[in-house]
Formats: sequence, C-alpha cells, structure tokens
Amino acid sequence: MTRIKRDSIAYLVVIGFSIFMLAWGVPNQTPAYPGYGASSALVPNVAVGIMLFMACLSLAIILIAHYLKKPLPVAESEFPEDLKDGGGFTQIGRVNMQYLATVMVPSILFVIAIEYIGYIFASFAFLMFLQYLIGSRRWLQSILLAVILTTVLYIIMRYGFGVPVPGPQLFE
Amino acid sequence: MEMILAGLLDSVSPASLMFLLLGVTIGVLVGAIPGINGPMAIALFIPITYYMTPLTAIGFLVGLNKGAFYGGAISAILLRTPGTPEAAATSWDGYPLTQQGKGEKALRMALYSSVAGDFLSTIILILVAAPLAKVALYMGPAEIFALISLALTVIAGIGTNSIGRGLIAASFGIILGLIGTEPVTALPRLTFDIYQLGSGLSLIPVAIGLLAFSEILIQLEKFAGKGSVEHSANEFSTKLEDRMVSMKEFFKNTKTLLRGTLIGVGVGAMPGLGAPVASFMSYDQAMKRSKHKEEFGKGRLEGIAASESANSSVVASSLIPLFVLGIPGNLAAAMLMGAFMIHGMQPSPLLFKENAQLMYGIYGSLVLASLFLLIIGRLGLRLFCKAVDIPALVLYPIVIFTCIMGAYLGKSSMFDVGVMLLFGFIGYYMRKFDYSYVALLIGFILAPEWERKLQQVVIISQQDTYMFFTRPVAMILMALTFFVIARTFWTSINSRRKKKAEQLASSEQAKNG
Repeated sequence: MTRIKRDSIAYLVVIGFSIFMLAWGVPNQTPAYPGYGASSALVPNVAVGIMLFMACLSLAIILIAHYLKKPLPVAESEFPEDLKDGGGFTQIGRVNMQYLATVMVPSILFVIAIEYIGYIFASFAFLMFLQYLIGSRRWLQSILLAVILTTVLYIIMRYGFGVPVPGPQLFE
Repeated sequence: MEMILAGLLDSVSPASLMFLLLGVTIGVLVGAIPGINGPMAIALFIPITYYMTPLTAIGFLVGLNKGAFYGGAISAILLRTPGTPEAAATSWDGYPLTQQGKGEKALRMALYSSVAGDFLSTIILILVAAPLAKVALYMGPAEIFALISLALTVIAGIGTNSIGRGLIAASFGIILGLIGTEPVTALPRLTFDIYQLGSGLSLIPVAIGLLAFSEILIQLEKFAGKGSVEHSANEFSTKLEDRMVSMKEFFKNTKTLLRGTLIGVGVGAMPGLGAPVASFMSYDQAMKRSKHKEEFGKGRLEGIAASESANSSVVASSLIPLFVLGIPGNLAAAMLMGAFMIHGMQPSPLLFKENAQLMYGIYGSLVLASLFLLIIGRLGLRLFCKAVDIPALVLYPIVIFTCIMGAYLGKSSMFDVGVMLLFGFIGYYMRKFDYSYVALLIGFILAPEWERKLQQVVIISQQDTYMFFTRPVAMILMALTFFVIARTFWTSINSRRKKKAEQLASSEQAKNG
C-alpha cells in the first residue's frame, strides 16, 4: 500500500467521523441553546467543520493529482520500508497488527481480569505473559521482574498513596 | 518582598527539596534510556503528583524535565542514539570523543553546558515573566481568544509534514477537550450517555496513552523487527586530561555557551518551536563562527557546548508563554500546564497575583533544580552511563505496566485505564499516519479555556459579531492566525513544486546521461 492510498483512507475516516458528528453527534449530544452566550454546539461544530474541510481539501488534492496523472514525488508514492523518525514526533511505517496485538490484547485482558482475580494475580500473569510475547525466555528473570514490579507498585499504591488497588483484595 | 521570601522558603522545605532531587535523578535516568523523553516521563509520573502539594508537584516535574534533557545527552554521547530528539546534535561531537576514549570528558562538558544554559535561562525567566504578565493582564477575553487561536494554528504545524493534518489533529483535540459538562448550561455535552465522561476526559490517561503507550507500541515494533541492538562496551581513558574538563577548556567556550543560551531562550519563548530546533540552530551558528570548522563532527567540545546549552535553556524559557499568557509553548510545558490544572490552578498572568507565593516557590525550585542537576550529574556520572544498557526486554514491560497503573492511579478508576489504552491505540495510528499527537494534546488542553473566552466575548459584547473589530490587538492576532495558515499552505505547495521540478530534472539528466 502506498502512502497516498493510506492518506486517502485516513482522510475518508476523518470525513466519515466529521459527517457523523455534524449530522448526529453534535446536534444530539449538546444541550439546547439557553438564550444567552454562544450556543454549546458552536465550538464543536467549528472544530468538526475544520476537520471536514481539511480532509476534503487534502483528499481532493490527492484525487486531482491522481486523475491528472502528475508524477508524485518518490517520497509520497513509495512506502518507506524502515521506520522514519521525523524529529522525534512522527514515525511513518507499516502498521504491524501482530505487534500491536502483542501489547493491546494482553493489556485489555489484564484490565478485564483484574476485576475478577484481583490486582496481584492479574498483574503477575500479565507481566509474565507480556514478557513471553515480546520474546523473553529467561524464566527466572521474568518471574523476578513480575514479582518485583507487582509488589513495588502494590506497596506504593497501598501504603505510599493510600489508594485501593483495583479488583478484589487479597490482603485486607 | 514577604511573598518572595515565603515562596523561597517553601522551595527549601524538606519535602520540596527531596522531591526535586528525586525528580532530577529520575529525569537523568529516564532521559538516558533511548526512547524515553522528558514529556513522556512527565506523563508517566504526573499521576503520583496528585498526592503532593502544588509546589512539590511542579518542582518534581520541572526537575524531571530538566534531568531528562541532560539524560538525553548520555545515550547520545555513549551510543550515538540520542535519548531525546534534541540531543541528536550532541551526538555529532560527543560520540567521536567516546570513540577516542574521552566519553567521560564529553559527558562532563555536556553536563556543565546543560547546567549553564539552564541556569541562565531560569534567571531570564525570573526577570521577564512577572513584568510581562503585568502587561498581559491588560488583555481581555477577545485578545486571549485570538491568542489561543494563533497558538493552536502555530502548534498545528508541529510534528507533521502537513498543516492540514495538524489542523485536523488540533480540531480533534478540541472536540475531546469539550467532552463533559458545558460551562454555560452546566449540562452534559458529547458524553454519549457514558456517565464517567460527565466530568470530561482526564488529562492523565489521555497524555499517558498518547505520549508513552503509543511510543512503546512503536518502539516494540522496531525492537521486534531488528532484535536487540548490541553495542560494544565503552572504555574510558584513565588519563586525567581525557576525563576532566579544565576551567580553561570550559571558559574557552563561554561565547558559544552564551550564544546557545540566547538561541534556546528565543526559541523556547516562541510557541511551536522546540528544543531540537534550538540545538541544531546553535550548533550551526557555533560551527559557522568557529575558527576550527573542520574539527566539528570529529569530537569538538564546542559542538557539545553549543547543542547542550541551547536545548537545556529551552526548559525554562518555554515556561515564559505558559506563565505570562497561559499558553504552553511545547509538549513539556503542556504537561506542566496539566499539572497546574490538576492542582486547581489555571496558568495565566493572574497566577502572579493570586498565587504569588507559589510562583516564587517555583522560581526557587527552578534554580535549585539546576544546582541539583550539577551535583547529581557529577556524582552519578558512571551510574547513569549504566542506564543506557537496560535491556529492552526488561524496560518495555516496566513501561507498559507503569502506563496502565499510572492511568489507574489518577482517579482510582479502571475506566481511565480503558481511556489510556484507547488513546495509546489512537496515538499509534496518528504516528503511523503522520498526524500530530502534539497538536491533539495541546488542542485538548486549551479547548476549555478557548471556549470560555469565546463565551465571555459573546456575553460581554451582547452577541455583537463585530466586537473583534473594536479590539485592535485581537484583530491583529486573528489576522496573524490566518496569515500563519496561508503562509504554511503556500510554503508546502512551493516545496512540493520544487521537489517535483528537482525530480523531473534528475530523471531527464538520467535519460540524457
């Protein structure tokens, strides 16, 4: 997939979101105008309007360039293989669903599990599983890291800040 | 005078000193780890500041940021892998010195330059912020509204190659910032019947997700693609002249240090630029003005002095627009603004009037942080060098777990953890698709104030749409906003044309040749 195609998809997503917000989100999710001041829908509408305008404009530029068959700069027509670091802020590269899932899925499962089995067991299992998924095969190191991290954060939360740890409590 | 003394005394209280010291130490450590920068560290540590007093919290975060700026130089010098983007220029002369066995000398020069730049910049902040804030007090809601519009437009250009995408990101941030209770009617807005959104999205999970979690997702991908990066252990020379920076060597670079500091102060005070711009600019100037241009890039201390003094002076100077106008000039300042808001304060010129004691306390902490950086940097030089060797397999689980529990810690709410994961996912895609998460975050932070000022303008003017025309300063600022947008579009169109012309010329040359 070229960067142009991906930009087009992103602009289409932005356009879809903006239309949804303008047509349904903002009208149904903002209070009625009280008769003074600016309407509570004004700023959200302006912000969504800017998003829609910019996305349409950018998409139009891409489409015009495509139909006029103008040569596009190499940087825009080819997809760079390596991740490019643009001053520490932007990184363009392939979306790798496998690695995204490696972190996202255990994290979501952890958030769900913590409510049922409590912080200590869920944290330990999460850290072990996460380390395994990212390639750690040193079991002793993995167990030590999981135990130390779970314990340190438990102590900080419970005794340092007096915050209840999430989920069912093991030690009351 | 009493306020000044009371503020300064607050800054030397045991709790303030302890957390300031802790902030600087953690800052240097995390800054030294490639991939963790100042704003990311602030995002990770903001949740624990909930439980501190405002001065201790701000002092801790300022110390963290200052420490991270120097810490970035450690991995830049030892590994040629800048821990932070602004340390990239430091690696050009720092790494060759490491190869010559003079890594310790390079680290010391970076430390002294960082402290000098940071200290001078802090003094400038102290001298100019309060008088400027007095002038800023004359600005009404119309002017502030116009100023925030201008800041949002300038900031939309950061972190992306396209102003269009920057504006989309900033607008998205504004929409997110408006979720919650609407200020005029006090009724829920854009909450989609999710009761947890009644008080709006919290800054902590949003910032952790966008800054830290998404960064880890990206880094994990890089790490998995390339495997762990092996690097040879650095050997330091034992000769005294290769380890220490003599007074003569340091003072030989006075001009470079002063120039770098002034560049850093100028760049930091302007919203939208940032430390990387300052360090590259200062390095470039130092090279152009040096009698030994040919030695730059081969291990010249002057290069390190130029880069480090400039990027460290941005830390304090970026607080000038925040303290004077309530507008964050960069990501770190935005995070500090968030910390102020968490403690119930809105950064604005009124801060000097309403919280004078706190402000002078912060000044005290800023000066002390420079001193602590010098002490910690000198004492822990060898220890901090070890931080660059932390294996990724150990680091990533720690950061991911800290992100999750940090998001929970703010409000003890698992809903916030879900928000953090969602914004980590959004941030990941924003980075991949070249949308500026910096613009999103600053739009998110500034949106409520922007709308509040607009409401004030509309109510004061009794819905007179021509109100702006009666306020010349506001008019100039709005005109500037449109000028910035038009200019950025024009520049991007021109650069595209140039690129195409260059490509066509080179392809024709290839055909003929």
